[in-house]
Amino acid sequence: MESPHEHQQTVLLSRIIGNVEKLNEAVMVMNKGLQEVNIQNMNVELVAQMFKNYQSNVLFHLEASPILGVVRPNFSDNRVCAVCIICSLSTRDRVSRNYIYRQLILLSTVDPKSSGAHPAMTITAVQSLLPGRIASNSSEKQTEKPPPQLHGITDFPFKGYHPPQPEGYRQSQAHPDTSAIVIDNGAHLVKAGWSFDKAPRFAIPPVMSRYRDRKLMRQCQFIGYDAYVDATTRGQLRNGFDPGSSVVGNWDVMEGVLDYLFIKLGVDGANGGVGRPILMTEPIANLGYSRKMMNEILFECYSAPSVAYGVDSLFSYRYNGGKDGLIVDSSHTSTHVIPVMDSKPVFSNSSRLNWGGLQGSEYLMKLMKLKYPTFPTRLTDAHMEEMVHNHCYVSQNYNSELNGFLEWSGLEDRDRVIQYPFTEHVVQEKTEEELAKIAERKKESGRRLQEQAAKMRLEKLVRKEQELEYWKALQIRLESENKKETRRILEAEELKDEAALERMIRELEKSIKRSRNKDLGIEETEEQPEEMTFPMLDIPDDQLDEAGLKEKRHQRLMKSNVDARLRAKEEKEREKARVAEEERLDREERENNFERWISKRRDNRQRILQSIKDRDRFTADLGNRKSLASQMRMKTLANLASDGPKKRRRGGDDDDFGANDDDWGVYRTVAVGEASDDEEEEDLNATLDAAEKELLEFDPEFSEHNTFAAQSDWTKSLVHAFLRGPWPFDPESQREAHQLHLNVERIRVPEVVFQPSIAGVDQAGLIEIVADIINQRYTNPQDQSRLLKDVFLTGGNTLFTGFDERFRNEVRGFLPVDATLNVRKASDPVFDAWKGAAQWASGDNFGRSSVTREEYLEKGSEYIKEHELGNATW
Amino acid sequence: MPPPNPANDEAHQQLLNTLDIAHAPKSFRNHNWKPSQRRNKNVKQMLSESSRKEASVMATQANSGATTQGTFGDGTRTPAEGAAPNLSQATQNLSTLVLEKNARATNPTGPAVTYTNIESAPSFNPAYQHHYCDITGLSGQYTDPKTRLRYHDKEIFKVIRTLAQGVPENYLEARGAHTILK
Repeated sequence: MESPHEHQQTVLLSRIIGNVEKLNEAVMVMNKGLQEVNIQNMNVELVAQMFKNYQSNVLFHLEASPILGVVRPNFSDNRVCAVCIICSLSTRDRVSRNYIYRQLILLSTVDPKSSGAHPAMTITAVQSLLPGRIASNSSEKQTEKPPPQLHGITDFPFKGYHPPQPEGYRQSQAHPDTSAIVIDNGAHLVKAGWSFDKAPRFAIPPVMSRYRDRKLMRQCQFIGYDAYVDATTRGQLRNGFDPGSSVVGNWDVMEGVLDYLFIKLGVDGANGGVGRPILMTEPIANLGYSRKMMNEILFECYSAPSVAYGVDSLFSYRYNGGKDGLIVDSSHTSTHVIPVMDSKPVFSNSSRLNWGGLQGSEYLMKLMKLKYPTFPTRLTDAHMEEMVHNHCYVSQNYNSELNGFLEWSGLEDRDRVIQYPFTEHVVQEKTEEELAKIAERKKESGRRLQEQAAKMRLEKLVRKEQELEYWKALQIRLESENKKETRRILEAEELKDEAALERMIRELEKSIKRSRNKDLGIEETEEQPEEMTFPMLDIPDDQLDEAGLKEKRHQRLMKSNVDARLRAKEEKEREKARVAEEERLDREERENNFERWISKRRDNRQRILQSIKDRDRFTADLGNRKSLASQMRMKTLANLASDGPKKRRRGGDDDDFGANDDDWGVYRTVAVGEASDDEEEEDLNATLDAAEKELLEFDPEFSEHNTFAAQSDWTKSLVHAFLRGPWPFDPESQREAHQLHLNVERIRVPEVVFQPSIAGVDQAGLIEIVADIINQRYTNPQDQSRLLKDVFLTGGNTLFTGFDERFRNEVRGFLPVDATLNVRKASDPVFDAWKGAAQWASGDNFGRSSVTREEYLEKGSEYIKEHELGNATW
Repeated sequence: MPPPNPANDEAHQQLLNTLDIAHAPKSFRNHNWKPSQRRNKNVKQMLSESSRKEASVMATQANSGATTQGTFGDGTRTPAEGAAPNLSQATQNLSTLVLEKNARATNPTGPAVTYTNIESAPSFNPAYQHHYCDITGLSGQYTDPKTRLRYHDKEIFKVIRTLAQGVPENYLEARGAHTILK
């Protein structure tokens, strides 16, 4: 018997089988997907573990690192992968997502500024004195200063090639015994020439640069200014003098310098030696070893026939015609005071202060490095020397001038700006035309977008209108249809009943109207929602059928909605009234009891200021690892990082972090740096502004320049004046970053010779030394007046503007009123020593005072002959 | 950096060659001269050497009255122990007497002048004991007890408190007031 439905059944079965197969396939795909998800989750777990370890390491290092600087771990890579993980995580894994997210934030809060550019765990302890200030809008506008006059800086003192001058040597051949080579062996400049010259032929710094050129495979040797010729030679620079003294320390350099000078002076060495007598200067009380070495070199290496030594300042004094007087010789490495009686120096009453031009420029270097710790260019000794020479001067009244030095008025003249070479960041400067073009393009695209939107709106409107048309037509058609047909039609349109249709039509109408209004720019009028009635709510449930119950439920929902809206509205109005009331009370108080009102306001402002201060202190304290603030922070960090053993004991692995929004607030307390409290700062500043505005309006004693902004304006800042002069500072500008400002240093550096304690030299100042020599060592008034009648200044360090005047005034200060005091300066404080030496070498005394080669060989290398301008043996 | 310019390089090399004196003829030099390898000494080494020498000279001058005789040539000061050496003292040590005589013969104006003893003494004049701000150089009446830096006013104090570790020590060093650990 054949079932009549067999065909149907087979069809159904085959469909079922097909469906099951498809289902199986789907399940397999799902399995595969699940497997993938599992693998991914395992990865996540691994990464999370890695993060945990990494972070505990970071914490450990944070605790262990003794430097207060900012720790900048390099998180960029990990962060990227963590972000990827979070994106790829399925939502069901909330716990692990939260965990990773937390780790990520913890890591990033260790340093919010960390970026890929920083190497891992860089500890930066460099800090500039002043964070860049931004000029705030102070109403008390101080007169804008004219732009600073910039002073350049010479890169290095290379002076070009100087050819030898052999004619001097030729001239000396006429009298080879009396024409001497005169060398003023100064620590700053070695001056050399012939005794018959009027001025030294060569003056070079005693430096040498000797190295082996790898490319040319040969030795190179550059002396004096030539040693500054290029970067390679400058890198190999050696100084002949022991640093900070006027004693030769490096004899290789000294030999090089002498070689250079003899070559340049045209010495041909016909008889295997220099062949001319030599006169050299040396410091007062030169050390025996130094003289011994010099003798050895001159006699044995250069085979000089005779050598004499003299003291530079005495030559200078002689050249300037002095007989009795007090020599004050402030030179490159030291300052000497030497009394001279009957043209003879009294060395036993002389004194040396270990301060000179070299120490001055070294001191300036220290000051500049401290003042601009992050200066982008290398500061060299030559730069400092140039600055000291060009910009420093001796103050006539140091203490009083000092305290007014950074005052606003006239600061632009006192502040010297040294501009170092720099490369400005090339900002593609856009022309007016291009800017206009860009604006036009922007506008164009905006308009296009607007047009597009309008078109779309129009299309939508048309569609809606068509729909409305359709529904309306349907409604009309329904009216003529019977009930069953109506039901069928409605069902076909997926509508529940006629009411629904009506509602839809109403909504459509409303939305069409709204969009029409919008297009035409008619302001939407808040149409009063028609008073809703909820008649069903009053009818008890048992009197209603199912549809009625449904309707009732719907109405109840609507009613609570409406009620809530009403409540909110009332609340708003109450709030408004409260504010108005408060304002009224406030006004009343202001009018009736102004004193109390204003004091309240002032207190309020003080409170805000205090909290700003507290906040600043807190941030500053965070920089100090030992401070309470940072310890608390560490504690929070440690708590967050720990696996939470307490929590685990309480309730398993359930990590509900993030369930409560307040949980995230913990990162505010953890974060350091500007990023963290931006909002708060804005907040405080805004409240402060409001409070100050009110005070400005009503408080007669509170004016514009009392505001916090005006008070903290950069023009008020002493530090800013010190670092940047009377001009605003733009931290972005490369030009300004490459500027050094010399202000207080201009008088601070030369002052040291008068007050050595400024630079930590434990010696009496120049005036004290002079006073001691005049008053203590010479008790005879006649001797005193002999010395005072001719006080003679020489040496390069006396070249400062105002040096002689200051010196004269201060010396006058400790003298009796009737004492005569004459202070004069050498006609050329730098070269007069050489000139005096040359003059003396042309005289008879030179021959008598020279040690000949025979004497040297007989009496040893430390033997010298005493004369009126030289050192004594002892 | 600009690309190396061969013409420029050439010119520079020529300049270097003219300036270089390593291979210039130096016939004035004695070619047999071989300096000692360790002839370079700094002042400290020289001083310690010479102070040993000085000490031996000073020993002869100590207790002998030679030091106090100072400027006995001008006669304005009363010689502390008289022009003639105290014989009873001097006979105690004959060598001292001989050395003293010799010393007086070579420098009749008192103790020898050496590199170290012409250095001026520390200042005791209160007029020069001003305190200056370590940061700005202005007058500094206050001292921060933590860093020992002197400062001018509260703004500078704020700066001092934000200095990184080690920086205050550098400021102190500029004034010579830093602590040296040995």
